[in-house]
Amino acid sequence: MAPKHKTDVLQGTLALMVLKTLDVLGPVHGYGLARRIEQISGDLLAINQGTLYPVLLKLEQEGVIASEWGASENNRRARYYRLTREGRKALQAEAHDWEQTAAIIARFFKAKAEDLT
Amino acid sequence: MKSLRRFFTRLSSSVTSREQEERLREEIAQHIALQTDENLRAGLSQAEARRQAMLKFGGVEAMKQDYRAERRLPLLENLFQDFRFALRSLHRTPGLTVFVIITLALGIGMVAATFSMMDAMVFRPYPVPRSSDVVTLAGTTRDSSFEDFSYREYLDIRDKTASYDGVIACGYMQEVGFSADPRATPRVRGGMMVSGNYFRVLGVEPRLGRGFRQDEDQVPGRNAVVVLGPGFWKREFASDPSVIGRKVRLNGAHFTVIGVAPEFFPGLLIFGGPDFYVPLAMARVLSTNPQKNFFEDRDDRELQVKARLKAGVTLRQAGNELAVLAKTFELEYPNLNHTRGAAVYTQFQQRTLENGNWRFSVIFVTLALAVLLVACTNVAGLLLSRARARTREIAVRLALGAARFRLIRLLLAESLIFACLGGLGGIAIGCGVIAWFQSKRNIVFMTDLPVGVPFEMDTRILAMCIALSALSALLCGLAPALQSTRTDLVNGLKSADVDIPGRKRLWGRSMLVVAQVSTSLMLLTASFLMARSFQRSMLSNTDFVKDHLLISSFDPRFEQYNAAQTKQFYKLFAERVRQMPGVQGATLMHFVPFGQEGIDAVAFVPEGFVMPRDRAIFSSAMDTVDEEYFKTISIPLLRGRGFLASDTADSPRVAVVNDQFAKHYWPNADPVGKHIRFDNASGVRLEIVGVARTIKYQDNRERPMDMVYVPLAQHPVSRMTLMLRSSGDPLQLIPPLKDIVRALDVNMPMFQTRSYEELYLNWAVRAPQVGVDLVGAMGAVGLVLTIVGLYGLIAYNVSRRTREIGIRVALGAGRNTVLRLVMGKGLVLVSIGTIFGLLMGFGIERAMNAMLFDAGHVDLVAYLIVVPLLLAATMLAAYIPARRAAHISPIQALRYE
Repeated sequence: MAPKHKTDVLQGTLALMVLKTLDVLGPVHGYGLARRIEQISGDLLAINQGTLYPVLLKLEQEGVIASEWGASENNRRARYYRLTREGRKALQAEAHDWEQTAAIIARFFKAKAEDLT
Repeated sequence: MKSLRRFFTRLSSSVTSREQEERLREEIAQHIALQTDENLRAGLSQAEARRQAMLKFGGVEAMKQDYRAERRLPLLENLFQDFRFALRSLHRTPGLTVFVIITLALGIGMVAATFSMMDAMVFRPYPVPRSSDVVTLAGTTRDSSFEDFSYREYLDIRDKTASYDGVIACGYMQEVGFSADPRATPRVRGGMMVSGNYFRVLGVEPRLGRGFRQDEDQVPGRNAVVVLGPGFWKREFASDPSVIGRKVRLNGAHFTVIGVAPEFFPGLLIFGGPDFYVPLAMARVLSTNPQKNFFEDRDDRELQVKARLKAGVTLRQAGNELAVLAKTFELEYPNLNHTRGAAVYTQFQQRTLENGNWRFSVIFVTLALAVLLVACTNVAGLLLSRARARTREIAVRLALGAARFRLIRLLLAESLIFACLGGLGGIAIGCGVIAWFQSKRNIVFMTDLPVGVPFEMDTRILAMCIALSALSALLCGLAPALQSTRTDLVNGLKSADVDIPGRKRLWGRSMLVVAQVSTSLMLLTASFLMARSFQRSMLSNTDFVKDHLLISSFDPRFEQYNAAQTKQFYKLFAERVRQMPGVQGATLMHFVPFGQEGIDAVAFVPEGFVMPRDRAIFSSAMDTVDEEYFKTISIPLLRGRGFLASDTADSPRVAVVNDQFAKHYWPNADPVGKHIRFDNASGVRLEIVGVARTIKYQDNRERPMDMVYVPLAQHPVSRMTLMLRSSGDPLQLIPPLKDIVRALDVNMPMFQTRSYEELYLNWAVRAPQVGVDLVGAMGAVGLVLTIVGLYGLIAYNVSRRTREIGIRVALGAGRNTVLRLVMGKGLVLVSIGTIFGLLMGFGIERAMNAMLFDAGHVDLVAYLIVVPLLLAATMLAAYIPARRAAHISPIQALRYE
């Protein structure tokens, strides 16, 4: 079986995914986030789950997410991350930017030679 | 915004807790546990479930690295670590650390102190806003480029030039009889007359009251107003703000205080600031030349003129304009302004061209820089051998993958710490040396006027200290750091001691020693030259009598005497003083040799002398003395006679010249009986009746100069100094002298009253001694550092070659062979250093001769003292470790390790 084509993930993209996931799920711990991102991307996105933590830290330092201790499913202490109000604003802005970029790129791909003459 | 916030979070977590690290570990553990549970549920075995979970998570350590890099500021943190490590390793070698810091502190402190001198004399800007616009205007003649202007000339310059936003004039600071209470005996203070626009043009707002109004400087004698200097206001009036409007007495006239100059403006002079300022219109009270009319005579030149350049006007344009104006003066007043030009100078030009006093500071700074150089090479040498001793440590670090840059940074951090502490020490030493200068104030300036030593540790000097420290850190640290990180790993790890490419390695260190030896030879040469030329200068032309003399100055103008009253006062005074018990002789003179006051100059024409085509007059120093002068101060008359009581105002005018003057104008004839005319070819005619021996008049370094003496009776001067010869302690004559003065006039102030010997010793001996001491200290420091440096090198060499020497001894080498082997290297280095040092010594001798002494020949004796001294000292430094090497026991040396 040929391996599925997998994509490199840019850090910025990962951050956006984290923000969106938190927006949808509400407070969640690091493992949950990793699983969720994996599920949504449908295993197309193969990242070391560990990569997530530096990104989480950076986002927290920027103040767009916050974290606190809570109890997890297996009754251990886990760090729960949630979106801050600032984060919500940032997400909206970034989502908007992203859609715009995607739309522009999409148009370029649709464009045929005759359209350009 | 976000990134700024992040930066501060990172900055704070760089220095705070480890709990973040803990949190991460817990999160990772939890993450893997959850994944393992999941995998278990999927049916994997316990071990496999955990393995898969770990795989999925990825490299934990790598991720931790990333995490940390995100969390903190790694660059800053590493720097912090470097410094901590450096501090720890310095702490382990306290002796070396202290030595290095003291060495650097000495170097930096010397430069700081001497540079504060140079700054004060050359660079420090006038304490006024936009000081770079302020230029100096001066007359130029064939003999000088800094001639003063007369009042009339100043008015013309002010009104007929367009280059300036205001032209100001001021007189010299001069003795003024001051009393706050009209009935009190005046005390002597330093006053200055300035033009009405002085404060306004300079942009100086009085801190209290107001400056002069323009109309207060228009009508001679109308507006008796005075602005006080800040220091004077503090000392004399205890900073009393109600002083404004008060009446004070200056030279017997009532003045109203209208303002106090601000703290930041002590005046434009380098040494000291005036106690008060009065408008030029009040010059009748302050003018120094009573024989001229200040407001009318175009040749009564007592004013220094400065101006503020208009924006966009260049110095050259202003200079051209002034030169043209000077030309019109010359056409209009051919008698007074013949060959008299004018020029505009910047502050820097004025400070460096007007007189040569600043040159001392250049010599001092140069020598101090040499001391710093020796200090730096010394420290570099020490750090080099330290780095060599750490070869193994560094090799291990490199082998473990430390980046070379990182190691260099680590080593540089050490020298930066040295530099910081050395810089601090340097500032302390600089402050100490400056305080020492300050403590010499009363020696250098023995005067009642408000003068001071302006050398200080201000922000400019502090900034320079910091820059110097940073520079020396680089200088000392970079070479050792580069060299030690270039270690050959294999050999470095094998043994800390093996040093295979040894020749190349030591080349750098040898260079350092050569540099040290030569620089310190130069320093020593300089200090010996200075001391010797100073001694020589004291021996020639100073053989007049200085002991058992009391001097005291008088100026009847302080009591508003007119010419007749002044004459009467001095006549009675001299008569009574000569009858005082204990007085063996008494004389009145205008100018006291070595008296620190400026000497008067007179323009004259020698009769029968063929004048060069391009000049109409000559100029000479002049003194006014009475008939007892030559006898009292023991200046022998070589020809003719001195002044007699019969040389009165009504008899033919006479003069005595010194033999320098005589040689100058009548080299082959007897000057006695010849005539000179003052001012110009149609001026007063004087007959030369005697020739006095030339002495030094102002300071030790002066070249023989022309001098004309005129009798007091024929050339009345207001300010005179009485010189009394006593049989015992001259100071004991003061009380009876006071009684005599009081009997003549209760309020007549006596000033500058002191033992003449003290005055002479201070100015001619002790003040130059300050410079000699300073240079001597620098020479000594240089020598000590060099000795230590050489000792360090040889000792290091010996310890490095212990094994080799052991083998040699075991194979039968004698002690002398070993001694020669070890000392040979030192000898070679010292010889090379001496050759370079001699070259540099000749260089500095030429520079010092050109700048200071005009001696012009090579002082062989100085070298005959200095070179053997240096050789002996350095040989000793090499001998001690060499002797230790010679006593190495082969058994111990080979057992080593």
